[in-house]
Amino acid sequence: MKLVFPADQAVIAQGLVAAAREMGVKLIRSAYSPVVREASDCAAALLDRHGNVVAQAELIPMQLGSIGATFKPCAKLFPPETLVEGDFYINNDPYHGGQHLPDVFLFSPIFLDGALIGFAATVAHHLDLGGGAPGLNPQASDVHQEGLIIPPSKYNHARDWSGGPLERLIRANIRVPTQTIGDFNAQFAANFCGAERLRALCAKFGPGTVDAAMAELLDYSERRMRRAIAQAPDGVYYGADAVDDDGIGDQPLPVHATVTIAGDSVHVDFAGTSDQVATNVNCPFASTVATALTVVKSVLTSPDIPFNEGSMRPVTVAAPYGCILNPKPPAPVRARLTSSYRAYNAVMKAMAQAVPDKVIATGFDTTEAICLSHLGPDGYRISLEIFGGGYGAGPEQDGCDAVDSPMSNCGNVPVEALDLEYDFFRVSAYGLRQGSGGPGRSRGGLGLIRHYEILADDVTFATYSDRFRLAPQGLFGGEPGQCAATRVKRGNQIIDLPSKCSFALRKGDVLMIETGGGGGYGAPESPGAA
Amino acid sequence: MRVGIEVGGTFTDLVAVEGGEVRIAKVPSVPARPDEGAMAVLKAAGLAMEDIDDLVHGSTVAINAVLERKGAKTAFLVTKGFRDLLALQRHNRRQIYDLFYAKPVPVVGQRDTFEIDERTGPDGGIVKALDTQALDGALAQALGCGGYEAVAVCLLNGYANPAHEQAVAAWLKAHFPDLAVTCSSDVTREFREYERASTTTIAAYVQPVNKAYIDRLADSLRAAGFTGRFSIMQSNGGRLPAAASAGNAVGALFSGPAAGVKGAIRQAALAGYRDIVTLDMGGTSTDVCLVNDAQADLTSETEVDGLPIRVPALDIVSVGAGGGSIVWIDDGGMLRVGPRSAGASPGPACYERGGVEATVTDAHMIRGAIRAQAFLGGAMRVDRDAAARAFEPLARHFDMSLEDIADSAVRVADANIVRAIELVSTERGRDPRDYVLVPYGGAGPLHAVRVAEALGIATIVVPPNAGVLSAFGLLAADFAQYDTMTRRVAVDAQAPGRVRKIYAEMAARARAAFAAAGIDAEPAITFTLEMRYVGQAFEVQVPLESEALEGLRADDLAARFADVHIQGYGFGGADYGACEIMSFRVGALAPPGELPALREAEPSQTGAACKIFDGGEWRCGALAQRAGIRNAGGQPGPALVEDATSTAFIPGGWHATIDLHDNLVIERLDLP
Repeated sequence: MKLVFPADQAVIAQGLVAAAREMGVKLIRSAYSPVVREASDCAAALLDRHGNVVAQAELIPMQLGSIGATFKPCAKLFPPETLVEGDFYINNDPYHGGQHLPDVFLFSPIFLDGALIGFAATVAHHLDLGGGAPGLNPQASDVHQEGLIIPPSKYNHARDWSGGPLERLIRANIRVPTQTIGDFNAQFAANFCGAERLRALCAKFGPGTVDAAMAELLDYSERRMRRAIAQAPDGVYYGADAVDDDGIGDQPLPVHATVTIAGDSVHVDFAGTSDQVATNVNCPFASTVATALTVVKSVLTSPDIPFNEGSMRPVTVAAPYGCILNPKPPAPVRARLTSSYRAYNAVMKAMAQAVPDKVIATGFDTTEAICLSHLGPDGYRISLEIFGGGYGAGPEQDGCDAVDSPMSNCGNVPVEALDLEYDFFRVSAYGLRQGSGGPGRSRGGLGLIRHYEILADDVTFATYSDRFRLAPQGLFGGEPGQCAATRVKRGNQIIDLPSKCSFALRKGDVLMIETGGGGGYGAPESPGAA
Repeated sequence: MRVGIEVGGTFTDLVAVEGGEVRIAKVPSVPARPDEGAMAVLKAAGLAMEDIDDLVHGSTVAINAVLERKGAKTAFLVTKGFRDLLALQRHNRRQIYDLFYAKPVPVVGQRDTFEIDERTGPDGGIVKALDTQALDGALAQALGCGGYEAVAVCLLNGYANPAHEQAVAAWLKAHFPDLAVTCSSDVTREFREYERASTTTIAAYVQPVNKAYIDRLADSLRAAGFTGRFSIMQSNGGRLPAAASAGNAVGALFSGPAAGVKGAIRQAALAGYRDIVTLDMGGTSTDVCLVNDAQADLTSETEVDGLPIRVPALDIVSVGAGGGSIVWIDDGGMLRVGPRSAGASPGPACYERGGVEATVTDAHMIRGAIRAQAFLGGAMRVDRDAAARAFEPLARHFDMSLEDIADSAVRVADANIVRAIELVSTERGRDPRDYVLVPYGGAGPLHAVRVAEALGIATIVVPPNAGVLSAFGLLAADFAQYDTMTRRVAVDAQAPGRVRKIYAEMAARARAAFAAAGIDAEPAITFTLEMRYVGQAFEVQVPLESEALEGLRADDLAARFADVHIQGYGFGGADYGACEIMSFRVGALAPPGELPALREAEPSQTGAACKIFDGGEWRCGALAQRAGIRNAGGQPGPALVEDATSTAFIPGGWHATIDLHDNLVIERLDLP
């Protein structure tokens, strides 16, 4: 293979990472979907001409590895060498590498003088992609009720988008087409921007040098990952946690992880995990892989290793087909993060035995989705917010208070922005939930409270959450954090709601959200003890 | 005589201009008491205090008060239900893989935060009326025994209607006349409560410190015989009379980088260049700013120590790449430069003050771009052998010669700077090739040409005394004040009327504020709309000339917005979707009077030859100074151009001239 001069390698690598980052920034800043713009629930990447992710904007951990996983089925059906200028791949199918339906992946091939030099890719969590209910359908019993499935496909931008058949088909099947089509356009614009940057790099250094630098960048990330993993003690480690319930019954859904560290590689096996369920907490395999990678990356490696296909090579993941971490179609998967987090916790607990100083206790570690919708005279109004709670405590530091959970990175929506947008509810309190962090040598992070005054009748509340029954455990003698709860105050009556449900709210109701705290680290009575 | 004094972390610089004469002085800063450094540099320059008509000062006092948490003991009053606003922040993390993540620490803690039972709606209507009598109980008691020096008031939707904040302020004034009160509606009238609360609390927190500092310096100046005009530099690139600035600390947080940009704009404009990219490279960081038509963009999205500040500041992007940036090899074998820096202490290895790691400055010494005998005009001792020792392990690792690895390190540093410029240009839909690069600061002119080459920029303008341009920039700053306000206006048939009404109100308010600040000049008014498509969450800035207001139509507004959106994001259009205005910004500006020219300080002489390693080989180049280049009518590269404050490098293929304003203008020779 062609060798690249060290300074050229450094400069090209920087250029590739910067291009992916710029794509991500543009996507977020111009997006409509609050999940994209406030939560950065999106990703952007440059791929080499074979479809390996070379540089990715690191926006949320959940998208680690997802772009490569959705590319492959597209490329298998429509080989890259058959693509022409203006073509694109599209895929949101959880059973073909995808995450859940709202995450739509777009891949634009990049050509220079007629030759394919790479791909620009973006994924964004769209506000509504049809299905049985606006934004979120907690009742879905299969994936078809969750929205429009776009299987791995190839279309052409000029022919099929901008008024063309694909755009018309999607537009007809979604509830807020202006915003959603707007977000597709933001994805295309970001892809075109990435294409321009890659062409500029090739024009400057020559396509051959850039191609070689891309290959070296994959090897570079792999080398750094392996070096970091090699420093952890070899062994087979085991951890387990459980989802509260599937939203229908009251039985916990256990998740088991066996982590094998051998030399410079890690293998994570989820054998023994609960079978898939009939509700939306199933986690597609691509999301399970992202989860395992995230724990390995956060615990063992330096954050400045650029994420790409190379950094995934040392980590392998297995989960039995048909379990909640690798479901069979047509299981619904909308709330995949619920199970993903228990996989996160199980792997973290296993790693705690290998490297106790590099891990944290179990946190609230749940994506609590709060969806309030109302059908008014001007159509649907949908407010979707995502909340985390307290982080688990670390060996030397208390867990972070009231922050989004580790696999995601949602900002809150400012109360003043909600006031401007929605007239059917008003946030009347937002605060830290005192006492919710598990005591310990270091204390678990605090959960949060948020109260909504409902200002109209016929407001639909839909939610999924977890840790209403099973508290996050402390580590090495630390105590558990508090469980979460959702209540409705109706007159003098307090109605307790389950973690996964929808509920009809009336004018005058107060919806009260309490998210959970994190577990403590180390026994509380022995401050400073080892 | 006009004098600019800029207090930096290491040095306090002075530039004095009168007629054609320029005087420069540099003394070490006194970090604990910056005013002593300011007085010392005046003394070192040997200026007669009574000759100074106009003195402009920039310091790091306000920002250091935040960074070192040395502000006033501050109480924070907030709407009931939102006591934890400052601790909750925005619920996201800055480092997504950091398990031990901790949020930025606010300047006011929860125990100093008190709730007030009231609520204003987003339209300014009162949802829950304020009962000031209810404040007389627990709140009065808490404030009375808390030992507070300042109070910040930020109530929900206070931007839409400040009545409740004003009522609380009046109550505070009546009950606690000694407390300095800062209301959010006086600092920023934009929506998003956490950012507004953060800005307000920081404003209140630094206010007493800033006022005490300015008062103390004003007293010292007066005692020394100074009777002229005394102004303070602001983050927005303007200046305010010292007395007015003493009451507006939060506006001066980022004054240092702003002053340099103003100086660069002024020098480049003299040479006829109005579209420029400024490049200020110092010891630890590089600041870049994009300037269109001699106007730098403003941004309200700044932060200090992770805490947001929503007060307009020049839109300057900073990256961790400076002369002191450390050159290293990471555990994957990649050559890296920065972001860790040897800073001013211990400094680069060649300073021989305890630094042993290789830095960018050391690389320049090895490749001959910095000559030991000429560093800072020969005023500071540096050692090439020490630089070489620091680079030896790196050379061995890559099996390269010392000069090859040094040259590579400079190339990677160049790429870091290129990234910074891309952030303000390509990333915002601007083509850097349409701009002239204006480098300054100690290290900027050494990197400028290679950076320009990478970006396709054909012209570089190096101002005279480039190492102290920020102090000169203080003198170039206009008197300026900005006011921003959130008012949601749908772009429909009623919009032009509403925009005109808001403009009239805000312009009147700005003129009144200008007069209240003691500026006896009629300001020019600028007007900017922050717009977005309905449903988006981020706005883009759409300038609107006051002349356009009269015949303004809704489709005109939509078209202006669409142009800006397409430029920034690559999609959109007038018929793309409904758009709306979220906020308005009015600026009031008045020039400070005719500014004498900045000339090269010392008479220079032509030099001899030098050897410099660049692009893989040693090349013989000229060693020039500005006077010599002027006399010779030009200087082709390769060459080094040295002055008392910095060195510029001209590689082969480029040609330098000196223009009528002592600027060193470097242009690419067009290849046949």
